[in-house]
Amino acid sequence: MFPLYADVPAYPLVFPLFYGAVAFFGLAMARHLRVLALAKPSSPFGAIPLRVGGLAVYVFGQAKLLKDLRAGLMHAAIFWGFVLLTIGTADIVTGGLIQAVVSWPAGGLLWAAVTALQNAVAVLVLAAIAYAFWRRLVTRPARLSLSRDALLILALIAGVVASELLAMAFEAARAGARPGAFVADGLAMGLRGLDRGFLDGAFAVCWWAHIVLVAAFLCYLPFSKHLHIATSLPNVYLRKLAPRGELPAMDLEREDATFGVRTIADLGWKDLLDAFTCTECGRCQEACPANATGKPLNPKAMVMGMRHMAVEAEAGLPLIPNSPLVRETYGLDDRLSPERLARPIVGDAISYEAVWDCVTCGACVEACPVLIEHVDKIVGLRRNLVLEDSRFPSELTGAFRSMEQAGNPWGLPKTARTDWTRGLPFDVPTVAELATQGRLDELDVLYWVGCAAAFDERNKKVARAVATCLHAAGLRFAILGQEESCTGDPARRMGNDYVYQILATGNIETLSRYGMERRTIVTACPHCFNAIGNEYPQLGGRFEIVHHAAFLRRLLADGRLRLAPERPAGDGPAANAAVTLHDSCYLARYNDVVAEPREVLGRVPGLELREMEKTGRQTFCCGAGGGRMWMEETRGTRINAERSRQALATGAGAVVTECPYCMTMLRDGLAAAEGGAAVASLDLAEVLAGRLREVPADRELPVL
Amino acid sequence: MRIVVLLKPVPDTTGQERLGPDLRVDRAAVPAVINPNDEYALEAALRLMEARGGDAAITLLTMGPPAAPETMRKGLAMGAHRGLLVTDPALGGACSLSTARVLAAALGSLEFDLVLAGVDTSDGRGGVVAAAIASLCGLPYLSYAGQVELTDTAVRVRRLSPRGYDLLEAPLPAMVVVTQTVGEPRYPSLKGIMAARSKEIVTRSLADLGLAADGVGGAAATTRVLESRPPASRAATRVVRGPAPEAAEAVVAFLAERRVI
Repeated sequence: MFPLYADVPAYPLVFPLFYGAVAFFGLAMARHLRVLALAKPSSPFGAIPLRVGGLAVYVFGQAKLLKDLRAGLMHAAIFWGFVLLTIGTADIVTGGLIQAVVSWPAGGLLWAAVTALQNAVAVLVLAAIAYAFWRRLVTRPARLSLSRDALLILALIAGVVASELLAMAFEAARAGARPGAFVADGLAMGLRGLDRGFLDGAFAVCWWAHIVLVAAFLCYLPFSKHLHIATSLPNVYLRKLAPRGELPAMDLEREDATFGVRTIADLGWKDLLDAFTCTECGRCQEACPANATGKPLNPKAMVMGMRHMAVEAEAGLPLIPNSPLVRETYGLDDRLSPERLARPIVGDAISYEAVWDCVTCGACVEACPVLIEHVDKIVGLRRNLVLEDSRFPSELTGAFRSMEQAGNPWGLPKTARTDWTRGLPFDVPTVAELATQGRLDELDVLYWVGCAAAFDERNKKVARAVATCLHAAGLRFAILGQEESCTGDPARRMGNDYVYQILATGNIETLSRYGMERRTIVTACPHCFNAIGNEYPQLGGRFEIVHHAAFLRRLLADGRLRLAPERPAGDGPAANAAVTLHDSCYLARYNDVVAEPREVLGRVPGLELREMEKTGRQTFCCGAGGGRMWMEETRGTRINAERSRQALATGAGAVVTECPYCMTMLRDGLAAAEGGAAVASLDLAEVLAGRLREVPADRELPVL
Repeated sequence: MRIVVLLKPVPDTTGQERLGPDLRVDRAAVPAVINPNDEYALEAALRLMEARGGDAAITLLTMGPPAAPETMRKGLAMGAHRGLLVTDPALGGACSLSTARVLAAALGSLEFDLVLAGVDTSDGRGGVVAAAIASLCGLPYLSYAGQVELTDTAVRVRRLSPRGYDLLEAPLPAMVVVTQTVGEPRYPSLKGIMAARSKEIVTRSLADLGLAADGVGGAAATTRVLESRPPASRAATRVVRGPAPEAAEAVVAFLAERRVI
């Protein structure tokens, strides 16, 4: 009946074995889905071409995995080997259907090619698994946790592949190699001449071992961390397509709602799919600056903890749900009751302290090969702690109150907002002044100063440098002055969406009143940039905002901003020195502004840029994001000390920043570091402002 | 247990308070907040309520402009149950004594066991209103309380003193003035803010309280502001930077040089 498998003893038993395992796998997966069904709605649909493209890049291209080249190649070998070897298994469980179809054209040449490819990848997979064992047992990178589960899975894969290859080898020794099976043929050389009965028996054992292991794998998978084989494809397809820096919107008017995330039932089902997709690879943990400085936060442990909570909630549920009739007749209640999901996540999957350790830098999200969103979950937990329980580090009370009452986290009077303009050799008008004079139409660009540059002494100098550059470029610019308030970014990332929405709606109202939807806004603060550009649309504010790194690049490229040739020797110690650039998380990683600041520095004559090891989208946080600017850093060592160490390792004479928080953190970090006192911290605008060429008063500037 | 907390809206305390041309506090120029010391009094009331398992009703009593409910809502969001506002055009420029008379009359219209007040207000800084009310109403007056305990019939406080504290006890009803050592005021939760929207704030005029406008308002003020000047600007500050041990040494040397330590 199955001519292609005529020499396999008891071949038809494959069908009940394999399809039974498939059914078990399906039911166990469906039980996971029952937890997802109780979670909050998520709507990661639409944009199908983009999502399919994501599959190509992140699943089939293994894009994120290959960032760690050795481990990435290992995984790619196993992944592609798995895909190709599945063809053979699929042939077995379809009674030879695939072989029959593929053999048809070109007189079986194609099937021979497939066999040859399978032989080759089998060796590759076995080599990769040997390396994987070596890593897990001998070199043991810190990001991997030693688990029986992982070793068992590796052994299963090795067994599946090795048994298939060996079966082929015994077959070749017995009856001659099939076309294309070159590795099996090679192995068979040492086996030929052995007793025919032994070869028959060995073939049968290996052949059946392969299919039994495949069935075992299917039955084990739903309970293993290795579930990602089944879930990563949908998880990548359903990935977050909104800007990474846009936190989920929040409706604060719904009186019956739970605000934020308390239990796993408050998570979206996509969040739970994230949890079921985590493979404990630990790339997030390795990238996390809080974890790297000895703090309790471990993004991997949080996601796995959420998954354990979900799995615990299904404990005792039957694999096959009873029908409503059976339930009613026998009084059985085997539904997944919401009470089972009612345990708080904080204190279970993640500790209270760890929730507040997060700098929301997004390094974990960037590192994750299956595109899990850790930061949105942590902010969800913070929202619940703040909005429902008022539970947060006590230092934040002052920051919250200051933002709400004074409109800035420093708690300084708004009358002081324009103090930084004092003594500048040119006028910095406010938009309100231009409006009263009827000159609003003349405005080229609105400079969004931000609270840090308005109130922090060091960053006031940055504001002056930005204004100097704008003025030197001949731009007519203005500020909002006292009408500007905090964008709400720190409040939002600390979980206080209430204060965020008050501030954001106020700013949107002010900007709209002056018609700023039709103008360009420039800011030197990546947090303001991200909030206004990526988050204000949720509240109806659509503005074109440019970060000063990109804006200055454009001014230089257009020739509006001209720099003096190399400084004469002896003009200060920092003249023509080598610098290093500290990428801001919210600029580089969240908004992909990486090339622009480098191009700006590249245009400064005589300036050498020395890159740090962690740079661009892989940058390492300064320690002040996510509202950490306003919290004490009491656990572990200081993040800014670690980043300062990395900066000093380049031997550069100055660290260039592009964010006021980074400026504060790195200045303090360098001052406290050995050998750091001589290293300056400068904003990108300050680098330029110190090098501007005098513009002749009568120079005609090109139109922007 | 019925607790009344005296609460005054004051101009935002971030250093923008200004006097108007009439030398009265310009309340329109700066947004109003709860007087910080009153927040401690409210916090003390909330903790007393919680210690009794929630068995207490907290009323906020305010004398202020018609916009005062906006500020009072923040107190209701922290957990107070209702508010009573005395507002009247004639009250502008009222002195401490007038204020005390009005609030005493308002208290007379309420049933209460305990009145809590902050040490003083950030705009007036008189610090006498609570004492005057206690005197006008004939209430026991317990000042500078660092800790407050309540039984069904009495209140006991630790009154802070230079040597430590005195233990005072008085029968209810009584007036207690608390210090900031009672505990940091809580930050209202969103549920609290939403609940506060539907809590009741009753408004009374002078006539409602049976008081004559010429006896208590600005017209009858017993004190008057004659002149005001901005304070001299602060001398230049010196910021010490560097690794903590060296920075600490520099600070110590600076202070020692000036014989501060």
